[in-house]
Amino acid sequence: MVKALKGVLVQCDPSIKAILLKIDADSGNEYIIEDLDEGTLFVKESKVASLKEKLKVTLKETVRENTDSDSE
Amino acid sequence: MSNKMTKRKATGLDTPDSVNSDTDASDIRQAVSHFSLETYSKRRKTDDGPSTSELRDFSSLPLKDDHVNRPLWIEPEKGRIIVESFSRPSRGPKTFSSELQSHNLVLFAAVSIGWTTSDILHRLKFYCKTAVPQAIQDFIIVSTSSFGKVRLVLKHTKYYIESSDEQVLQKLLRDEVIGACRIDSSEEFTKEAAPKMGALAIPGTKAAAGARQAEVAVQERPAEDEDDEVVRQEREMLNALREDDEEEEMDQVHSFQIAPENAQKVSKRCREINLPLTEEYDFRNDEANANLDIDLKPSVQIRPYQEQALSKMFGNGRARSGIIVLPCGAGKTLVGITAACTIVLCTSVMSVVQWRAEFLKWSNIDPSDILVFTADNKQQSHFNKNTGVVIATYNMITQSRSHDAMKILDFITKREWGLMLLDEVHVVPAEMFKKVTYSVASHCKLGLTATLLREDNKIEDLNFLIGPKLYEANWQELSQQGHIARVQCAEVWCPMTPEFYTEYLRANTVNKRGLLFTMNPRKFQACQFLINFHEQRGDKVIVFSDNVYALKAYALKMKRPFIYGGTPQNERQQVLDNFQFNPATNTVFLSKIGDTSLDLPEATCLIQISSHFGSRRQEAQRLGRILRAKRRNDEGFNAFFYSLVSKDTNEMYYATKRQAFLVDQGYAFKVITHLQGIEKMPELAYTTPEERRELLQDVLLQNETAGEAEVISEDLFSEYGARKTKKGARRTAGTLSELSGGQDMAYIEYNKSSNKGLKKKKGYQNSFMKGLARKADRVAAAKRENEGVYWCPGLKDNRDA
Repeated sequence: MVKALKGVLVQCDPSIKAILLKIDADSGNEYIIEDLDEGTLFVKESKVASLKEKLKVTLKETVRENTDSDSE
Repeated sequence: MSNKMTKRKATGLDTPDSVNSDTDASDIRQAVSHFSLETYSKRRKTDDGPSTSELRDFSSLPLKDDHVNRPLWIEPEKGRIIVESFSRPSRGPKTFSSELQSHNLVLFAAVSIGWTTSDILHRLKFYCKTAVPQAIQDFIIVSTSSFGKVRLVLKHTKYYIESSDEQVLQKLLRDEVIGACRIDSSEEFTKEAAPKMGALAIPGTKAAAGARQAEVAVQERPAEDEDDEVVRQEREMLNALREDDEEEEMDQVHSFQIAPENAQKVSKRCREINLPLTEEYDFRNDEANANLDIDLKPSVQIRPYQEQALSKMFGNGRARSGIIVLPCGAGKTLVGITAACTIVLCTSVMSVVQWRAEFLKWSNIDPSDILVFTADNKQQSHFNKNTGVVIATYNMITQSRSHDAMKILDFITKREWGLMLLDEVHVVPAEMFKKVTYSVASHCKLGLTATLLREDNKIEDLNFLIGPKLYEANWQELSQQGHIARVQCAEVWCPMTPEFYTEYLRANTVNKRGLLFTMNPRKFQACQFLINFHEQRGDKVIVFSDNVYALKAYALKMKRPFIYGGTPQNERQQVLDNFQFNPATNTVFLSKIGDTSLDLPEATCLIQISSHFGSRRQEAQRLGRILRAKRRNDEGFNAFFYSLVSKDTNEMYYATKRQAFLVDQGYAFKVITHLQGIEKMPELAYTTPEERRELLQDVLLQNETAGEAEVISEDLFSEYGARKTKKGARRTAGTLSELSGGQDMAYIEYNKSSNKGLKKKKGYQNSFMKGLARKADRVAAAKRENEGVYWCPGLKDNRDA
């Protein structure tokens, strides 16, 4: 019996994909159905919105942080 | 005023800030300054910095009729002055506008170089498109009235407080701290004529040359020494002037004497009561200290801006303390030498050596008069004659402990010095260096730097420790005139590879992350590509990395020589010599030690792979390494500055921050997202995922400390000479074959440091022995031929056998 899952194909930069994978791993594989190749993921359709939200938050965190470590 | 604003202020007088978003986009305006109207800003507490301020409409302000020709705007509420950089007359007032920003210290600087209150107001009115707001006028009048009125003058080796206004002095005397420091207790002040400019010619300028010729003709004696010559000229001139004086009754100055040991105290107190002292040194009337036998070589001509800087320093025939800001490579050193007679302090041993070389190169000083004082060189503790130049590192002055060093230190602290020259003066505010300025008794202090800014706010301390900023040059102008090289700046965005980025996201310390984005294989490829590209063009390339692990990894992989803190002195010299003179060595990797004071005029291209967070100073200093490029005057010559940044990481954020200073100076950074033809490059490293994973494994295995920036001993940023712990003997069990390197193991060096390749080949030095060796070779070759063995010239072992 074939089991079908409805999903969305997400294409992105390798680095963004890495973030998505991390989000997925942190939440216990809630989002991603299949990791297709370097820039493509297959994501559960119902979770896309919340994934987007989480990505936004993470991006903000990673690119700007610990700004006061420079003392010179 | 918000903290952000005051921080900005430290970027200096002539650093235009970028346009804030609320001004009309079509208007290319540059906010040259931000006021710090402490007294007037209280009512605007809500305002926090230019970036967040909402739209303000000042169209109601009446414009003057000919406003098109006037370049200044003044924003009445915040008191910010905006200069239209595109407007033609702005070229004219450039010198002026840079000195006129109503920050307290800035006004102080302006006044101390001779601007009067009415001068400032007049100019402001002249250039402003609108009427100058009354509040600002008031502010300027209030601040300037207290600035520059009082001078601390060192004359006949005694300290005097001098002012042209008797009432100010009375006020000072009534102050209990200052009053107590006065030496003579009489009510009268000493009166004398104000000092004049004009009597003093700066050596190396045409005036000086002319004066010298005249002098030679009249006195039939060769000009021998800078100070003497100046003194003599002055006497002549003064004699002439004195007659005028009597007729005209010149400005009178009043003064009283204070005890030398209290000078610092008085100076500090004056600042507290808002009457900052300008420190001056009347070296012409200093008979106690011997003059040094030094003059610039006749062939040396100093450049106009150098002359300008010096003329500010010797403004009225006396030497003023202060700071001169010139871009790296613009000849700060020469300005220093022209002013020197002296103790020079610099940041590292390397720069000590360079200062000495510069002294010998530019002036006719007797080499034995220069005393070098570093950790390796501390034997000589006195001058042969009674004067000379001492060159030392800051470290040696502040924290030497050995006996020899103490002896020299005694010698230095006991003497009086005419001029103390502080190279790279922006480092002085660090607590320990405050000590330097106090412990060394110098009459006049001159600070030299390219980047008068620090990420902390301590730059203002310099005003107190040394003096106001006397001169700052405009980078773009200097490069247009060809004094420094034109530079193309580029930021290369390297995407992180998925493996590295995954790890980057997982890493939880700053160091680990730093290591990951520095070691990003794509960055490595970009670096490799750029090095190759520029080597083929005939450029000499310097690659900078703060991180030593990355430095070594890059250099070893690309088989290029590298220098970091741990490289022994002679090896460093060898590498640098090769970089300068060996056409086969076109690239050198440098760690943080190369940031400042390293003089490599051959370098024409610079690649930065890792850096110290958001330090604007480091960025500017590094850029400075290529500004002095020798080939800068070639037609169409450009130097290149690449900053490699890993995308989607913190580095992006730091990079923008770092560039702020250079952008202020008028440099534009191009963003390169893809290097053309990088895929086609042969021997490109880390092209396969396996290689990348291997690299990643290696990076992950590195411990915490590998991600740290290097700690450099013998330099400013570290404790002096880290102690080595002695290793004791250790007993272990093992086989002999293990010790001999046997057990089927062969030693192969894969990642060989190419530093070693630069060393001289071993061989017979003696011609006789060489001859013998050649003969033996020939015999052996003949023998081989007879035996029918084919000898391949490439195989050395064959030949020896």
